[in-house]
Amino acid sequence: MQYNTWLYLLAFLPLTLAAYYLLPLRLRYLALLAASIVFYTISCGSRILILIGSTLVIYITGCLLEQISEKFQEKKKELSKDERKLLKKQVEHQKRLLLTFSCLLLAGILVLTKYLNFFCSNLNILFEQLKISAHIPAFHFLMPLGISFYTLSAISYLTDISRQGAKAQKNFLKLLLFLMFFPVIVEGPISRYSKLGNQLEEGHSFQYQSFCMGLQLMLWGLCKKVLIADRMNRYVKYVFNSYENIPSPVIALGICCYTFQIYMEFSGCMDIVTGSAQLFGIELEKNFQRPFFSKNVNEFWRRWHITLGSWLRDYIFYPISISHPFQKLSKTARKHLPVYYASALPMIAALFAVWFGNGIWHGAEWKYIVYGLYYYAIVVLGMLLEPAFQKAALAFSINRESVWYHRFQIFRTFCLVNLGMLIFRADSLTKAAEMFRALLFNGFSTKETMSEALLGHGAGVLEWTLLLAFLLLVLFIGICQEKGIHIRETIASWPVFWRFGLYLTTICIVVTAGAYGVGFGPVDFIYAQF
Amino acid sequence: METILKILNEVKPGVDFTKETDLVNRQILTSMEIMLLTSELNEAFDIEITLPYIVPENFSSAKAIYNMILKIEEEE
Repeated sequence: MQYNTWLYLLAFLPLTLAAYYLLPLRLRYLALLAASIVFYTISCGSRILILIGSTLVIYITGCLLEQISEKFQEKKKELSKDERKLLKKQVEHQKRLLLTFSCLLLAGILVLTKYLNFFCSNLNILFEQLKISAHIPAFHFLMPLGISFYTLSAISYLTDISRQGAKAQKNFLKLLLFLMFFPVIVEGPISRYSKLGNQLEEGHSFQYQSFCMGLQLMLWGLCKKVLIADRMNRYVKYVFNSYENIPSPVIALGICCYTFQIYMEFSGCMDIVTGSAQLFGIELEKNFQRPFFSKNVNEFWRRWHITLGSWLRDYIFYPISISHPFQKLSKTARKHLPVYYASALPMIAALFAVWFGNGIWHGAEWKYIVYGLYYYAIVVLGMLLEPAFQKAALAFSINRESVWYHRFQIFRTFCLVNLGMLIFRADSLTKAAEMFRALLFNGFSTKETMSEALLGHGAGVLEWTLLLAFLLLVLFIGICQEKGIHIRETIASWPVFWRFGLYLTTICIVVTAGAYGVGFGPVDFIYAQF
Repeated sequence: METILKILNEVKPGVDFTKETDLVNRQILTSMEIMLLTSELNEAFDIEITLPYIVPENFSSAKAIYNMILKIEEEE
């Protein structure tokens, strides 16, 4: 069941809301759990059993981890400092074993359903190259919906308990709800138990203001999905399939269109799910913060898919950076290198795991790994060249804080992001390389002329005008929000006539100008496949 | 406190750490420098700053770092 379908919007959600607000406060979480189970079963049938089974393991591990910590807290009061240190080491070792076992189990399910065939096909290629007469057959395991999001949330839950940053949930049903909550299971945001758990467990009374804000956000998300993203899909498909025959500027436009498509779709989906949760009085974590205003790729990833970035930082980057081997590396580097490079070196090593993880998390294909490493290369080059950039800025009297320099940085980041999107969207790495070559060398003398490539294939003048108008509207709202103007709250404070007039007009536009009908097929959410 | 200020000045010279109270949010200390700082503090105070302590609040000022070290020493 997709979040932009009538089934979800006009049947599933209203029924869940009715059940939620009709139940007594302390039982309201059961309505959400039942709805999540129905949602998941409709979406992918019996594969729900895999999730319920692994949640049981997570539940038991969580309780055990907490028990070990509590026992240590009790025992340590009677011990001397040295004895305490020794016992702490033992306890940490026990916890690490338990955590490793359950994380391996969770990762095992992910590998089995998402990555196994990728590994096997690469091994087969290796066998062929080495002339070894062995062949591993392909396996056909069906991937449970949202398994990547589920796995990351589950790992963060267990790690937080182990670090004593969260309390273990003693009620299995409540834990199941946290891991399967229907608005977040398909595309995130990747939730932390400390932020979402309590909100799901306690029943919320009906709040008119919060309810209206939720509906408003859902409507905005729908606009982004059906008015922009789905409209662009047809053109993006055409450009990525026919790049050999079209002029370079049209290829560049097609890549930009894909960047906007994926942004409008993913952030639109986040608006729909955040709005859906708000109808129940639940606040989800923010996943986007106007990423195209970023001045460098680091900032871009702090504004794009925020919860994935913060997950990788907290559960991969920090543990690696403060591990003993990295601290040793840092110490050795400080003896031989200037302070800047000495602190950059361990960070560069730790960042490799982060960007490799980011890439492969998106999918079991080399192009995704290269996509992650592409950003790694940019970040590392940026770090290594930063002292040179500073010197160059001084030498040429460039004010790096000026408005124009910031605008240049925003444009540069946008270009780099688009190149990344080319790798991300292309069917394979070879196709990405071919398309990049076509972008550089096709010029204007191609089989199709500029006007044919631009205005043929279903994208007429009206289509482009509509798209441009919607994009300008999003840009205008983005600029206002960057300046601290709260557009949503302002609209919510308008008199009823104007407010509902705007909402009804928007609904009419969504229904009449959305990407439906002849020439438009249903477009699945791109991130749902991850 | 003096040792903390000395380490902070080594990690990030040119900042008045006696006055700054929002080192992380104002991006005076980057992730890279926090990692370096952690390593230096571990060595200087013979403690182990573990992950639950690596949160912006604990690195927002020299005083916050001092309080964190006291807490870790107490716990150990």
